[in-house]
Amino acid sequence: MNIYGLFIASGLAVGALYALGGVGLVLLNRATGILNFAYGALGALGAMLAWQAMQWGAPEPLVWLLPIFVGAFFSLAFGRYIAPHLSQREPVVKAVATLGFAIVILGFMNLIWIDTPRKLSLTTDTISLNFAGLRVTLTRLIAFGLALTVALSMGVFLARTRTGLMMRSIAADRDVAALLGTPIRRVETLAWGLSGALAGFTGLLFGSLVRLDPATLTFLVIPMIATTVVGRLQSIPITFVAGLVIGVIESLMTLYKPLAPFRAMTPFVVAIITLMWLQRGRLLTFANED
Amino acid sequence: MKNYGEKYGHFEMNQISGQWRRWLAPIIILIVALSIPAMGSALWLKVFTSVAIYTITALGISLLYRRLGQVSLAHVALMGCGGWVTLRLSHAFHLPFEFQLFAGGVFTAIVGMVLAYPALRMRGLYLALVTLMAAGGFSILIGIIQFPNGGDGFAGYAITAITHMERPYLAQSDEAFFVYCIMIAVLAYALVYAHEHAKPGRAWALIRRSEASAMAAGINVTFYKVWGFALSGFLAGIAGGLLAGSLQFLDARSFPVGESVMIFALTVVGGAWHWFGAIIAALLFRLMPALLNDWGVSGDAAFIFFGAALMHALATAPKGIAGQIAGLASRLMKSGDRHD
Amino acid sequence: MKKIAVYSASLVGAFMMMTGGAMAAPSCGLSNGQKANGEPIKVGAIVGQTGPDDFSSSGDAAQAFFKCINANGGVNGRPIEFTMEDDQWNPEVAAQVGNKLVKDVGVVALVGSGSFVDMAVNAKLYADEGVMSMAGACAISDCYESSNIVTAAGGPLISSVGAAQWAVAHQGAKNIVCVTTNIPTSGIYGCSWMQKFMENKGLEASIIPLDPASADMNSAVLETIASGADTVLVNMPGGMAAAFLKVAEEQDLRDNFKWISSTPLYDADIPAALGKYWTGVLTVNAELNPIDGTGPDTTNWRAIMETYANEGDPRDTFSQAGYLAAKYFVEAVLKLDPADINRASVTKAIQAISGKTSDMMCGPYYVGLADRHLPNHANIMMQLVDGGFKQVSECTQVDTEYLAPYLAIEKEMGISN
Repeated sequence: MNIYGLFIASGLAVGALYALGGVGLVLLNRATGILNFAYGALGALGAMLAWQAMQWGAPEPLVWLLPIFVGAFFSLAFGRYIAPHLSQREPVVKAVATLGFAIVILGFMNLIWIDTPRKLSLTTDTISLNFAGLRVTLTRLIAFGLALTVALSMGVFLARTRTGLMMRSIAADRDVAALLGTPIRRVETLAWGLSGALAGFTGLLFGSLVRLDPATLTFLVIPMIATTVVGRLQSIPITFVAGLVIGVIESLMTLYKPLAPFRAMTPFVVAIITLMWLQRGRLLTFANED
Repeated sequence: MKNYGEKYGHFEMNQISGQWRRWLAPIIILIVALSIPAMGSALWLKVFTSVAIYTITALGISLLYRRLGQVSLAHVALMGCGGWVTLRLSHAFHLPFEFQLFAGGVFTAIVGMVLAYPALRMRGLYLALVTLMAAGGFSILIGIIQFPNGGDGFAGYAITAITHMERPYLAQSDEAFFVYCIMIAVLAYALVYAHEHAKPGRAWALIRRSEASAMAAGINVTFYKVWGFALSGFLAGIAGGLLAGSLQFLDARSFPVGESVMIFALTVVGGAWHWFGAIIAALLFRLMPALLNDWGVSGDAAFIFFGAALMHALATAPKGIAGQIAGLASRLMKSGDRHD
Repeated sequence: MKKIAVYSASLVGAFMMMTGGAMAAPSCGLSNGQKANGEPIKVGAIVGQTGPDDFSSSGDAAQAFFKCINANGGVNGRPIEFTMEDDQWNPEVAAQVGNKLVKDVGVVALVGSGSFVDMAVNAKLYADEGVMSMAGACAISDCYESSNIVTAAGGPLISSVGAAQWAVAHQGAKNIVCVTTNIPTSGIYGCSWMQKFMENKGLEASIIPLDPASADMNSAVLETIASGADTVLVNMPGGMAAAFLKVAEEQDLRDNFKWISSTPLYDADIPAALGKYWTGVLTVNAELNPIDGTGPDTTNWRAIMETYANEGDPRDTFSQAGYLAAKYFVEAVLKLDPADINRASVTKAIQAISGKTSDMMCGPYYVGLADRHLPNHANIMMQLVDGGFKQVSECTQVDTEYLAPYLAIEKEMGISN
């Protein structure tokens, strides 16, 4: 059996998670101009509630649907009641405000669910197939498939549909978009809801595939942001690919002993190098562009 | 809003007040700070030592934000760099604390200059994210190499037997070390003040308005941008060294990414446009959680309160708390030249 | 949930008292049923409650024990005023609350602390101020290498080596891979001495350190496969271990290795969190004797927890350790003249503790005047069975060179020979 094949397959499995998270972050950023630090926390909340529902004996389809609605609901709440107050602030301040939201959600989760080892077992965890010597569960395939689907369809949605166009125009300049008669409220609500639903579902998959722990899932948003940086917060396909590449590099580093302990740095190093490379040759920066 | 900041970004609280009046508030704050040890509480002494230290960090962040319009989400990680160097030198050479502190500051200034390299090409969210990535990398790196604790080798780390770092000759006790931190914070303010009221300050003001026109005016944009980052990094490095001196060792788990983001957020909440914004930021960052903890509020409930307050402050006070206080102060003084 | 649990616990407690219950009444201290009304004795604890893991169960147990003491005559009439502080896993906060307890509150001792940072941050403070910390849960090396800290728990090193020793003796392990956190004073500390133990036996061992925040357990599992080991030693906090074992389950590795673990997995929630897959496969080291034991201390501990603790407080090994610390502390101060209980006399009384035996611990608990303390260096193994654990080994002394200085101290004190 080829050891490289095994590690690449494993890297793709982990990379799919980065990709899925990154794609959702870029989607919201393109539609509202906000980088959402609370994305991981929304997912964590969805996953914890799904676990709770399971403990109470809820049927599994409900367990799958719950995080989607929970994510959408809380994301909408932020988008509806807090984000408008920040619309005049610069992008960094908007992003930092979402960190506040993340902390609120994390605090609630820690109050409700006392820290203890938990496991989210989905039926799809028990179905698996063999891929390059690696057993891949259906949950992992769903994560990969969802990331791919979102990457393909959202790119088209934003680029080709009228709603997508409106989303992009609002993200570019909210005031001008409003002057042009874009129904800001409606479009933004849609964007927040959509991205929240995605965050919740991502959280469910992460809760099963990574660890069902509120703090871990909340702060996974940081390496996810690394993939979006590679895609310059704009390109969904590039973010998708970046997630996979980061996952594979991280996995392959395991094979080289001296570098193996440092492999968790991969997302950050890849992001910095790409960003520097993308911005090469620029001499001046201008206030209106990043 | 940006223009507003440039106009009032100096250290005046009130323009028509006399010369003496502008020094009134700093002196009062200093006197209050120096009387803290007299409270006789070991807990609050530790807390206010941390507040003094993080004031220096926040000062560096607000300098970058106010003067260059640049965001650093890596300042707690930069403190870690300074602390590492300070600790390493302390365990290796046992030189006077001040040398080690200064060396830690200079090293971090160099790291700051490296961070300035991307800042030459980008700003806003992108630059913030580069610094965030750097902070993320640092938190993992330091988890592997650890802070020196008297061990052998380059890293100076041994799993067992912590050797505690020596404190400054003048400040062995917790009380003396607190006063020492306050004095360093005053020096840090003086350093920033000197820069802002001299050539670099004017250059930064022009760069913030327009890099192209700054360049047209014959200002070396690259140099002054790098210099700003170096100064900001220097302050963070000094703060890191002081933190090491306060605990007499450092733990890798003190430097997660979230802390770097949080102190930036609080610097904005505190108010980057006023000189005492950094103090407010540090009070929010260290005093508030300690108060909540002391009142028996669980850490998780404190998180909720803190996050909500952060969102509220960012949404309602664009000039930060310092801006609101300054506005209130100027209204109280019935000044004709109101700040808002 | 925790808050809700408070009310239901008191309800259950009241109910049990009314009906008399099947359970033995808790006994503690003077056991005279009289409320202590004298001048309080101040005692503190520092626990890592808010953070990656709730590490407060030893403090909760000490608190329950002191409540029992205060309802039963106190320390010769003086109640214990117990202040428990949360260090939030943050070294700065640990220093703050350490100073608060030792200098501001003026505690006579710390009892039942459980933390990943307190012992490293405050060891010097305790030594400088001449105050003893009778800790409960100790996850870092500093806890076992300080003059003023002592615990009934064995810690990650004793537990890891104990697990490895059992696997070598009973499962024929020849090559163990230790999967652990990259926290040097916790994970690596345990695994590297396990490695030395194996090498001394002419066997092989390796370590896979993991970043606790990492999303990627897959490569750790692949590394495990590549290590060539026949036995996997899981030495991680429960949540992380559950994540690692889940990926191992995904790869269906159960039958490729023998599976052992250190104490964190000896937790009532673990069987449910791991699921049926690991039943009868995973064997976990326990630093103290089983939580469902029938000895007098174990029974009394459960009774005290039932009556005086919250329902949500875990009943785990660390809770047992907190109980033992509180119990031995009270026994030591009961010998003092109640009018002359201060830090100096209490420190002396604690240092005089020796030869305490309990059904919870394999060996005797002692403190003594030494630069380091590790009384508990024998432990047992528990196998995961359907919905719980089953004891699979008797008390076994842990065989590691690390213990040499401690054994020398014991010899000097006349505890062992």
